[in-house]
Order: sequence, then C-alpha cells, then structure tokens
Amino acid sequence: MRNNETILQSAFILHTRAYRDTSLLLELFTVEQGRISLVARGARGSRSRYKGLLQPFVPLLISWYGKSELMTLTVAEADGVMFNLAGERLLCGFYLNELLMRLLHRHDAHPQLFMAYQQALRGLQNATSMAAILRAFEKHLLRELGYALQLDREAHSGPLIQADQFYYFDPDLGMLPCESSAKSTAGQPVFCGKSLLALHADELIDKDFLRDAKRLLRLALNQLLDGKPLKSRELFL
Amino acid sequence: MSFSPLINQLIAALRCLPGVGPKTAQRMAFHLLERERSGGLSLAKILEEAIANVKHCHRCRTLSETELCLLCANTNRDQTLLCVVETPADVFAIEQTGSYRGLYFVLMGRLSPLDGIGPEELGLHHLVARLIEQSPKEVVLATNPTVEGEATAHYIAELVKQRGLRATRIAHGVPLGGELEFIDGNTLARSLAARAEV
Repeated sequence: MRNNETILQSAFILHTRAYRDTSLLLELFTVEQGRISLVARGARGSRSRYKGLLQPFVPLLISWYGKSELMTLTVAEADGVMFNLAGERLLCGFYLNELLMRLLHRHDAHPQLFMAYQQALRGLQNATSMAAILRAFEKHLLRELGYALQLDREAHSGPLIQADQFYYFDPDLGMLPCESSAKSTAGQPVFCGKSLLALHADELIDKDFLRDAKRLLRLALNQLLDGKPLKSRELFL
Repeated sequence: MSFSPLINQLIAALRCLPGVGPKTAQRMAFHLLERERSGGLSLAKILEEAIANVKHCHRCRTLSETELCLLCANTNRDQTLLCVVETPADVFAIEQTGSYRGLYFVLMGRLSPLDGIGPEELGLHHLVARLIEQSPKEVVLATNPTVEGEATAHYIAELVKQRGLRATRIAHGVPLGGELEFIDGNTLARSLAARAEV
C-alpha cells in the first residue's frame, strides 16, 4: 500500500476520455470523495486488465493513490453487474451523468446523492415511467447542492401552498402566487398548486403532475447550468 | 544531449505518430538517416501525396482519394444493405471478415453528449440524406459496444425506423476460443441475456 492510497471505495464512472496512447481519463462519482478524476494506465490496450469494466453504469470498487491533481487508479473491481440500460433508458442514464458532471464540484462528498444515483439507475432498468425517476433524482440533486425547492409553502415561509391555487417560480425566492392559470404578469410559466404538492410528496402519479414537475425542475436546473443546455437532451427523439 | 537542428526537428516531427515517444522517435530518425535513406525518401513522398489527395468518399465518408471509394463504386455489392460504423478502421475490420456484402456509412465518431457531441455535431443529416438516396432494406448498426456506441445505435435506429426501414444491431457475446472463466462479468451477463435457441 502506498501513501495517500484510498482503498476499495464504491464508485461509478460518469465519463471516460482517451488519454495518451493507451490510457483512459476517468471521471468518477465516488461515495466518500464525490466527483474525482483518475488516470487508468494502460486501460485501452489490448491486454488491459480492466476489459469491459471501466464503463459508465457499472458498480465499481476502486482504489487509487496520488495527490489531488491527476490521481492514478490502482485497482478496479466490479461490485455487481452493469445496470442493463437499453435504448431510451440508456439516454436517461447519460442525462443523469451529464447533470452530475456539470453540477458537482470535485471532492465534494455527497453520500446521500450517491445512494439516490444508484437507486435511479436501478429504477431506470425496468420502471415503466422513466420520467418520475428522473424528476426524483433532479429534486434530490437540487437539495444536495443547497438549492432545495420549497414546495409546501410560498416564498419567505409564506402561507401553505393550496392545491387549487396557481403559482409562478422565482429562482431566487421560490413559489409566488399568481392570479390565473394563464401566464403570470412577468411572463413566467405558471404551475398549479396540486402539482407542486405532488412533487413535494414525491407522488408524481399523474401525467399533468409529471409535466409540471419537468417544467419546474428544468427552470431550477437551468439557473444552475448558467443557461448552457444539456447535450443529452438532444438525443431524445 | 542535443543533435543538430535538422535531426532534432525530425525527431520532434516523428513524435506526432501514436505510440512514439522521444526515445522511439530518436531510434526511428537514426535508422532512417543511417540505414534507410531511400525508404525514408519514398515515405516522405507517399506521405505528402496521401495527405494532399486522400479525402472522404462522397457517399460513405470513409477515407478515399477518389470521389467514390472502391466499395461504393463496386456495383456487385448488395445495395439493400447499409452498415453504419464509427471509423474507417471499422470498415476495414468488417471487410477482413469477408462476411458482409453490403455498403457502408462511416460516422467518423459517435454521439457523446458529455463531450458535447450531439446529432448535429456528428453530422447525422448526412446519414439521413444517404438513407433517402439509397433507401436500403436493412441498416446494420455496427457501432462499438461502448455506452456511447449503444446510444448512437439507438438514436440511429429510431431515425431508420421513422422511415419505415429495418434496423438491426450486431450481437454481443463471448469471444470465440475464449474460456468463460476469464471473460469479464458484464460481457458474460450480456451473452446470457441474449442467449439463442440451438
């Protein structure tokens, strides 16, 4: 064992890139260190010992050493089989990875989010509604990043959200009431209270609820993404 | 130790090749200058010629010095089959097997949203134009078995099906002549999931 070596930590690969002739640069989401980058030496060669292992959506146990810049992978073992994501489910997986790549800072631990990510991948394998899984993950991600949506009360800890009322979303403040179901005075999209309460309770059972949750979470995420769109959204035909 | 400027430049230039570091580049340079001068000259000549003339085939986008590559120009190939691959090297690999008689389309990459490569960046409108022009009966998706390759295959399959054409994907499985014990778990799991009747 070397100095500074971290031993067998649960991790998922978010993205890989070719590095030099036969190596791979890995972007990982680990349970205790959050997002880190590692070099996997010789991982692309024909005699690589990591064959088939260093891919997204494979639960891994990894060891690495090095200081915070460019650390090196020493061991990678499968911690179960790869999540079987096909077709559109795979695109959803890419979407989750892109969100994490764009929004997590390196070396910020998010153990709860790691569990949520694992759960989302498991759900994507066979759930009938992929949308509900994505929304639950987005909501969890916002909370972890310190931008939790307050969905049971109006902004400034105001009155409780009413199911039959309409609201608009101010990214800096929260939900604010508005008069009708048409666009609010400032032109923002409007949400009905019923949908907000459903998202609050994680009970997105209705198509309308799902559509509203998607609109709202997208607004909240776009704020954090600095308006630069997510590329994986383009792949949904 | 430093050599005369021209030798240094040659060593530096050779390092643009894959797998060639400073030491190898130095060995190559001395080999050419000491023992292989005529070979070096013909290499320089053919390299210049190839780089000036080799472009992309207008139909399949593989590398070719003619407007239509030899495969596209061959009228004996099966016009009802179109195989979609990532790189010209993949065309070569499939041709070597001798078991495919159709035509090709080379993507020159793959969809990789996390690298910022979406359908537009990959130039998939070329493929759509090709589907309209050739209108094959079957499109064989032979992108790599990586997650990006799978996503690319899925996306193209949707494009193909929208046009009422048939899309097929090359199979995943255990390599021939291998031993199950040494095959990685993910490949083995895939081959079990896609097992076929005997």
